Amino acid sequence: MAKEMTYIGKRTPGLDERDKVLGNVIYADDFTLPDMLYARVFRATKPSALIKKLNVEKARNLPGVACVLTADDVPNNESISNVVGQTTEVGLLEAKHQVLVKNRVRYYGEAVALVAADTIDAANRALELIEVEYEEIPGVFDPIAAMKPDAPKLHGNNNIIAQWKLRKGNIEKAFAESDVVVENTYRTPRQEHAHLEPESGVAWVDDMGVINIRSATQVIEHYRDVAAVLGIPQSMVRIEGTIMGGAFGGKEDVTVEVFLGLLAWKTRKPVKLTFSREEMGFGRQKRHPYILKYKTGATKDGKLTAMEAEIISDAGAYVYLSPWVLLYSTVHSTGPYFIPNVKVDSFSVLTNNIMTSAFRGFGAMQVAFAYESQMDELAEKLNMDPFELRKKNFLKKGSETANYQKITSDVLLKESVEKALGALGEKSTSSGSKKIGRGFACSWQSYGRMTYLHDTSSAWVGLELDGSAVVRSGIPDLGGGQRESLRAIAAQILGLKIEEVHVISTDSQVTPLAGTVTATRALFMSGNAVKLASENVLNIITRTASKMLKVSAEDLYLRDKLVYTSGGESIPLVKVIKECAAEGSMPQSLATYKAPFTDPIKTDVIKDPVFADFTFGAQAAEVEVDTETGIVTILKYASAQDIGQAINVNRAEGQIEGGAAQGIGFGLMEDYLEEKGVPLTWNLATYLIPTSKDLPDIQSIILESKSGKGPFGAKGVGEPSITAAAPALVSAIYDAVGVRIKHIPATPERIYWSLHNSDT
Amino acid sequence: MDGKEYYNIKLIVNGKEVKGSVAAETSLLDFLRSKNYIEVKKGCDKGDCGACTVLIDGKATVSCLTSAIQAQGRKIQTLKSLGSWDKLDPLQEAFVKHEALQCGFCTPGMLMTAKALLDENPHPTRDDIKEAISGNLCRCTGYKKIVDAIEAVSKGEN
Amino acid sequence: MNNFKFFKPQSFKELLDIKDELLSAGYPLAGGSNLLVYIKENMVKSGTLIDISSIEELKGINKVDGSIEIGAAETITNILESSLINRELPFFSLSLKDFGNPLIRNKATIGGNLADASPVADTAPPLLVLGAFVSVVSRSGTRKIPVAELFTGPRKNKLEENEVIQKIIIPIPLEGKGAFLKLGQRKGTSISVTSVAVWIESSSDKFRNIKIALGGVAPTPVRALNTEKAFSGKNIDRNSIKTFAETLRKDIRPISDVRGSAEYRTEVSINLLKRAVYECLEMEE
Repeated sequence: MAKEMTYIGKRTPGLDERDKVLGNVIYADDFTLPDMLYARVFRATKPSALIKKLNVEKARNLPGVACVLTADDVPNNESISNVVGQTTEVGLLEAKHQVLVKNRVRYYGEAVALVAADTIDAANRALELIEVEYEEIPGVFDPIAAMKPDAPKLHGNNNIIAQWKLRKGNIEKAFAESDVVVENTYRTPRQEHAHLEPESGVAWVDDMGVINIRSATQVIEHYRDVAAVLGIPQSMVRIEGTIMGGAFGGKEDVTVEVFLGLLAWKTRKPVKLTFSREEMGFGRQKRHPYILKYKTGATKDGKLTAMEAEIISDAGAYVYLSPWVLLYSTVHSTGPYFIPNVKVDSFSVLTNNIMTSAFRGFGAMQVAFAYESQMDELAEKLNMDPFELRKKNFLKKGSETANYQKITSDVLLKESVEKALGALGEKSTSSGSKKIGRGFACSWQSYGRMTYLHDTSSAWVGLELDGSAVVRSGIPDLGGGQRESLRAIAAQILGLKIEEVHVISTDSQVTPLAGTVTATRALFMSGNAVKLASENVLNIITRTASKMLKVSAEDLYLRDKLVYTSGGESIPLVKVIKECAAEGSMPQSLATYKAPFTDPIKTDVIKDPVFADFTFGAQAAEVEVDTETGIVTILKYASAQDIGQAINVNRAEGQIEGGAAQGIGFGLMEDYLEEKGVPLTWNLATYLIPTSKDLPDIQSIILESKSGKGPFGAKGVGEPSITAAAPALVSAIYDAVGVRIKHIPATPERIYWSLHNSDT
Repeated sequence: MDGKEYYNIKLIVNGKEVKGSVAAETSLLDFLRSKNYIEVKKGCDKGDCGACTVLIDGKATVSCLTSAIQAQGRKIQTLKSLGSWDKLDPLQEAFVKHEALQCGFCTPGMLMTAKALLDENPHPTRDDIKEAISGNLCRCTGYKKIVDAIEAVSKGEN
Repeated sequence: MNNFKFFKPQSFKELLDIKDELLSAGYPLAGGSNLLVYIKENMVKSGTLIDISSIEELKGINKVDGSIEIGAAETITNILESSLINRELPFFSLSLKDFGNPLIRNKATIGGNLADASPVADTAPPLLVLGAFVSVVSRSGTRKIPVAELFTGPRKNKLEENEVIQKIIIPIPLEGKGAFLKLGQRKGTSISVTSVAVWIESSSDKFRNIKIALGGVAPTPVRALNTEKAFSGKNIDRNSIKTFAETLRKDIRPISDVRGSAEYRTEVSINLLKRAVYECLEMEE
């Protein structure tokens, strides 16, 4: 490896950026093939109903229509999944997934039939010709009501589809001995990903009989789901991922892949399917709305004594990733604080609402709103500065969490708060009905998947004869610069210019499988895999070069396509590569990085380590609240995150800024509303995300403890960047006007009534 | 086949003549994409996101709510009218330099809006810039680096 | 499946002829920011799109006999950028600065915004307080409809099926000052939760000829006549302004929807009205 940092921690522009500003990137919907069909999905317009009659004949007979598929045409329409650890009280999961509705519709927007036609117009017209008769059956739309024994059941005999617990110490005794106790109920919204690029893909069956699917996905391993539904070998399905126009967890579950696989398999023609913005609204997963009941105690000198929480998430009509999202919530529910006595009971509950699943933050975000609001309330009761209170309780390296996991990396929370608050500068002054306030919040968020899943990531690195390098990694790029980080790492280790490294990514049959771009794991896992593979290649080179130069291999390093000795002697890298080839020891390596492994969870009481490590950070805001309208204007904003080591500073800042922006949306305006399961906000005119006029200049502050488990000590940043935004804003609003919003988003109307309604 | 009427149209896009056949209600967006102007993005198709922004007679607007037939006789510019691989437009240079993009999906529309802004008002304030791009949603960034990039060009700092 | 035809009249006369022939099946198409959305959402399924974007008689911003006349097909941007309006009636320009967003303002027209008759049409409240008219034309002739009488219900207007709006006529007030305040759920591209326009002719010591209009709080944009009466002839003092503003409760009939509850709309409308009056009187808040 080059002695000094050439690309790690720099602001290197990515190659793809040039094509992005030129409009050259071929996103999923930009791709076409000759003689391609256009697909549409026929979706249910009832949240809870039985299908009494489904007639697709008229649609099938429409000229230009190639096929119309219903549940009867799907080889394996139903699947059943079970969740580790969920066997004690909840019982084996009886929740089924269905590709297309067979008999029963469980949410508004559920897919009932698929159409493929010569033109998009013909496909749209075919949708209008499909006749369906429903018999509405009682549904349940409130998770608390759904937990009751007499509630209508979505699947099997229990709507509670996951339950997790934390048990530590003795909370009864600890609360009795506490000097102050605060108890509150918090609610969080059903947030929509609102990535600008719709879910989309094109599929075709190639001349070897393999179904090829080119789609925008965070998970190319969904080829296995396609194979399972079709009942064909997994080797007969290939997913080639595209550059994504944003995803944020919204392209983590299967999107278009299974539908496309079915249609291409049946028609033997290329097929394109792109969801409309409306379908993205009512046909796709959202962030789980939560109800969080928290009780937290402390001594009069500000030491946390006990925490009790009941956490309920609305899973919607199907399970998807709800049990894992809930597991994240449970483990992160204490916040980054040492609390000796903890009792947490979490439930994820099925309802006839839109299904919910992965979204940046993955359950660790909703609880941050609760645990940070609790800290502020405690500080208030103790008449203590909220930062002082937190400082007394921050986790430290070596501390044990409520699931008995030791923190193994540095915890720069104090530094993060100082930096974020410091960045706000001079405080603005209130005038008239416009009040100024400041607040901050801390967060912790794991990076990497749950360790009992035994996560791995593979990568291949090889040198060409001219000394340039190729990296192959299955990791998709969703705009965060996933490929660029891998290039930088390989270039750093092999002493190459970054232009001399090419990364081929996201093809399930060409690139070594690297797992998903989810769980803030891409850099951690694939970065380590590429680093390992690059180091292996380096070793092959130095071993051969040491023979050529007659020096010890440890003395050698690579720079600018030269192999140097510590004495400054060098030979060209290409000569060494030729010698390697002559010896038959090719300068290439397929390496697999294994995350720390732990034993599978056996019960729903979490009492073992679950995550590899955590990222810690803080966000701070200064707001102006208009007491006569409830309108909040964010005047200043800063987010400070210890990301261990920045690989690309530009990209890392982009994650910190973008995470804050999305978290601000979650805190202030975003909520996907439904009325008895019928969606109300399914387009971007009614579901509002922040515009340029809604956001301040967000200051991104990078701290580098170099203590993470990623390459060069990096920690993850993708998800941690969103987590503390909402509580920071709510804290600032409280500071401005003295009311604490416990149900976010903190819309102008909610703030207005908190200020003007004496009942609340 | 379906009794619909179609109309032959001829547009001038990036200085080149483009012919085609469209229905009365066909949007400029759908027409352009059907002619492989894939740099014009479809994000919402209802004028709510700005991803499909093009310039019509120098003014930035959403092509999804523009009638393709009505666009005849007007000067239409997509992102491809800006720089080329060998010579980026200063705005494109600045977007790369300031990392004013992540996934790149809002970028074509954002750049066209920025282009129209600077053509009309070469020295906008940061608030002017935020106002100008307020119809162009970006979900990856917090807009700061985008505003930085446009401001840098306006100040000749690129 | 929808089925539309397209027709581009070559003259104003041809426009009136085709409108007379097609009646409600003829849809004037200017910028398209409303009509194309309705087509995409299947709210309008068939008919003829009549391209009015190049009809000279629907264009122009002029001063005529003490009024500003704005062609119905003028875009909001053109109005905002009109030096005539900025000089003669800056209140109207200022009131349009938060209309949609720049991309929409470059396309949306004032005639379209009024003909659409949305309860939240942002051009309506300022035009109502200015006592503006629309000049409506058909083959049978021309008539002037006060904007105050134009709206008959949500997305319903008083136009006959063969009529089109030709221009908007705004009498330039001889004296006075106006304010327009709009409250949305967010700052960029917002649809009004409520909006309040106020014009005050005199600000000496008594309220004289105060005009108040609101959007988003009734089935149509509305004048607040009871509230105007409450202010009228009263001494100007800051404490009584809030009291008079309370009269709004009698004038508005808001509904609850995803953008806000009826109660919230009522309360903030009162507060915005108070503010708008302060602004007209150049009083500190």
